[in-house]
Amino acid sequence: MSGVVLSVGSGETLSINRREAARYLGCRGDLREDAAALLALCEPEVRRAAAPRACHAVTGVSVEDDRVALDFCTIESPALAKNLSGCRSAFVFAATLGAGVDRTLLRLEKTDPAKAAVFDALASAAVEGWCNELNETLSRGLVTCPRFSPGYGGVALSYQRDVLSFLDAQRKLGITLSDRFFMTPVKSVTAIIGIRGETE
Amino acid sequence: MNIAERIRDRRTYFDGGMGTLLQKAGLAPGELPETWNLTHPDVLTDIHLAYMNAGANVITSNTFGANCLKFENLGEIIPAAFAAMREAKARFSGDRDSVYLAFDMGPLGKMLEPLGDFPFETAVECFAKSVRIAARCGFDLILIETMSDLYETKAAVLAAKENSSLPVFVTNAYDETGHLLTGADVPAVVATLESLGADALGANCSLGPHKMLDIARQYVRHASRPVIINPNAGVPRVENGKTVFDVGAEEFAGVMRDIAALGVQALGGCCGTTPEFIRLLKEKTDDLPFAPPQKKTATTVASYTHAVTFGELPVVIGERINPTGKPKLKDALRRSDLGYLLREGIAQQEAGADVLDVNVGLGEIDETAMLTSAVKELQSVLDLPLQIDTVRPEALERALRIYNGKPLINSVNAKRKSMETVFPLMQKYGGAVIALTLGEDGIPETAEGRCALAKTILDTAATYGIDKKDILVDPLCMAVSSGEEAGRVTLDSIRLIKETLGVKTCLGVSNISFALPDRPFVTAVYLAMALENGLDCAILNPCSDEMMRTLRASVMLGGLDPHCERYIDFAVQHPRGSAFPVSVPTAQPQKKDDLPPLMYAIVKGLSAQAAAAAAELLETAPALEVIETQIIPALSLVGERFEKGALFLPQLLMSAESANAAFELAAKKLPKTEGAKDRVILATVQGDIHDIGKNIVKVLLQSFGFEVIDLGKDVPPEQVLKAVLEYDVRLVGLSALMTTTLDAMRETVALLRERAPQVQTVVGGAVLTEDYAELIGATCYAKDAMQSVHFAKRVFGR
Repeated sequence: MSGVVLSVGSGETLSINRREAARYLGCRGDLREDAAALLALCEPEVRRAAAPRACHAVTGVSVEDDRVALDFCTIESPALAKNLSGCRSAFVFAATLGAGVDRTLLRLEKTDPAKAAVFDALASAAVEGWCNELNETLSRGLVTCPRFSPGYGGVALSYQRDVLSFLDAQRKLGITLSDRFFMTPVKSVTAIIGIRGETE
Repeated sequence: MNIAERIRDRRTYFDGGMGTLLQKAGLAPGELPETWNLTHPDVLTDIHLAYMNAGANVITSNTFGANCLKFENLGEIIPAAFAAMREAKARFSGDRDSVYLAFDMGPLGKMLEPLGDFPFETAVECFAKSVRIAARCGFDLILIETMSDLYETKAAVLAAKENSSLPVFVTNAYDETGHLLTGADVPAVVATLESLGADALGANCSLGPHKMLDIARQYVRHASRPVIINPNAGVPRVENGKTVFDVGAEEFAGVMRDIAALGVQALGGCCGTTPEFIRLLKEKTDDLPFAPPQKKTATTVASYTHAVTFGELPVVIGERINPTGKPKLKDALRRSDLGYLLREGIAQQEAGADVLDVNVGLGEIDETAMLTSAVKELQSVLDLPLQIDTVRPEALERALRIYNGKPLINSVNAKRKSMETVFPLMQKYGGAVIALTLGEDGIPETAEGRCALAKTILDTAATYGIDKKDILVDPLCMAVSSGEEAGRVTLDSIRLIKETLGVKTCLGVSNISFALPDRPFVTAVYLAMALENGLDCAILNPCSDEMMRTLRASVMLGGLDPHCERYIDFAVQHPRGSAFPVSVPTAQPQKKDDLPPLMYAIVKGLSAQAAAAAAELLETAPALEVIETQIIPALSLVGERFEKGALFLPQLLMSAESANAAFELAAKKLPKTEGAKDRVILATVQGDIHDIGKNIVKVLLQSFGFEVIDLGKDVPPEQVLKAVLEYDVRLVGLSALMTTTLDAMRETVALLRERAPQVQTVVGGAVLTEDYAELIGATCYAKDAMQSVHFAKRVFGR
């Protein structure tokens, strides 16, 4: 709630890595012409459906052995402890492409499975692109760690709840959690980015 | 004066933010604010009192998140919240009669189905639990606020109305584009909530006052009830490690003055606003004259995204989801194949329908269950308003309840029994209705007679508090072949009813041409005549080129198409005689391999060509031969290429669909016994809502000629077992995408092994490994969709 900053992006200018999307679809090696054509066909629909939003805040960090204490929760994880070692603060963020993507996907799954698969892969690439964009903006002038999400390195998905509540993400972004900690809208990401210091 | 009366009578002020003030008082990050009702009631009393002193009339309780998903002790939390407010009111030295205590309800923090996994009725029950406690406390009203999903808002309003008699005010949270986060625009929200009986409505949170201006303007334009605007103090940003909102109290009050001048009845604040904001707000707006809400007369219905207004351009209601005279649809309904309904719905939307009629009445099926499923399914993929078409009251009630938006009801007539059934449901659930001029003695032969029946319906509706704007009169059209005056009388009725009663009109036009040669032509001419006589809305087949062409031309010739743009666009895109385009992405066909036409079409994923090639082959070759020598080998070829990485997933899927198109044709020619397919059950396990992988396997299996019983996603183990026993299948495919649902996978496999040991299981999904599959005792692990097919073939000895 306190210190949470909202960012609103645009589907039109999202960076979508088609090669990455093709990889999700099992396309190995070079992106062939027909694969590229299919992706190009679907990409405008992803852009139309997406309403990228994100919010972030800064949390204090203290790492002791495998325990990472943040302002709003404490997490036991060697991988996260290693990731954040030497950091005294970190950005916590949540990003989403919004419910429009879910709606389009729901419709395509029932009407056009091939297109649904392409759309799904592109939307995954798009939310990655959106996170990269945020990551870059946040990291400007700072030395930061690679971003780390619940679900990685033994950090339970249940920490989504703490992160989302710290960021008031339900109200700000419309992100909700199921009982098993899935986020809806489906193309949503939460992450923590450790801050090592300022660039020289 | 109660608050519902007061808000119509003079400017009413709401209080401002709570969270920021609690944090200042020491609320820790992550701590639930509502617990302070028990631990720090004095702090809350001080905050409430400060708002009263600042001039706020409506004070909101600290119960934003007080729901049964977050608290087990609601019975303590809610009364404590009320006690703190009552104490503040007792201490308040000003005019206590102008202070009203609101029970505040925010969102549950769960996404409702179909986008999320939370059932609508569970949401209603969650809200109801809080409302029942609040109703005993002594609050003056219920304020449902910061709702960013229309469906959840409806659940909250129903719960409030069903469990209390308090006035219900609703404010929604919009994004920068003027939509709720799940897509609804202001007209859709206003139509839905007024129809449900909200006593006042508006917007709060998310935006600062500047960005709220346009939203306020839209509310005033569309709402007949009082409008409430409670913005944030701008947008929060961090300055020197502290959160500051970018709009100060002075500036806030200045913009709020503009908002009040638009004709907004109630003003207050949300996040970041403090008693000082409210004090200045009141000071700056006190001298403005008060404008009571203006009643609007537009006839509207709404989906969960947008409203459709009658009386501007003619509205097209697609009639094709109706089993009468449609053997294929009947068959689909008997098999509970809702996919068929969806395709009908989508085709009509693409052809230009504005509203879809939904009728699933068929003697031998449970209409209530089917109509409910059909509405749920349609509104999960289509954003058109639906017209609920049933003669069964219980089916109508269920459908109205779960509908997401403001529905159209088909229909009521002038018979007493019909009105006594339909109007009470409209009173509770809202909606607009098609009123047929059919009385106890049938359909009058004259326009005057039909107009009189229409008046009876309007007058009776009024006694239920239903406004005539929510009634569209259908004067009914008979076949002209049964009496040459039939067409004329109906046209006269349309005119007369519009002129004398001032209501919107509707007509199912297809009847007119019954038993005549070249029906589409006759119907289309009649449509043009009816439009010229003032028809507002036609129930027709939007996939008929003739009808839509006539409609667009009529609109243009009637002077409603500036620069003839809409007509020209339509005519250019739909040259005469062309079929409506189907939106399937097809990669450009490349140089032909040395394959026969059917195999080529399948390999390239060209559905239409595959069907055509199959049809041609089937004229001479036996069906089984076509399947075995062409369809299956083509699919196998595609499968191999996919496994080598030479094709990627969508191409595989398009091939599977093409094979399906061919297979369906071939299957029709198979002798019945050979046509009996091998059955496979597929499900995404409980807790998992990602089912794209399962859907891919389904398409592939079907294309190889298996019958797939798809149980959907988030399927409990018991339900899988039940289906296994019911359908007597030998193979079950289970998918899981997330590590967290692996347990559910294990439980499902274990249950099947115990209770249906004859069944084989194939498991797959992103997180599964061969080792894990073996560990939990699954028969087979499929690393991709093709492997599932290989295994299915083995199981059935193909």
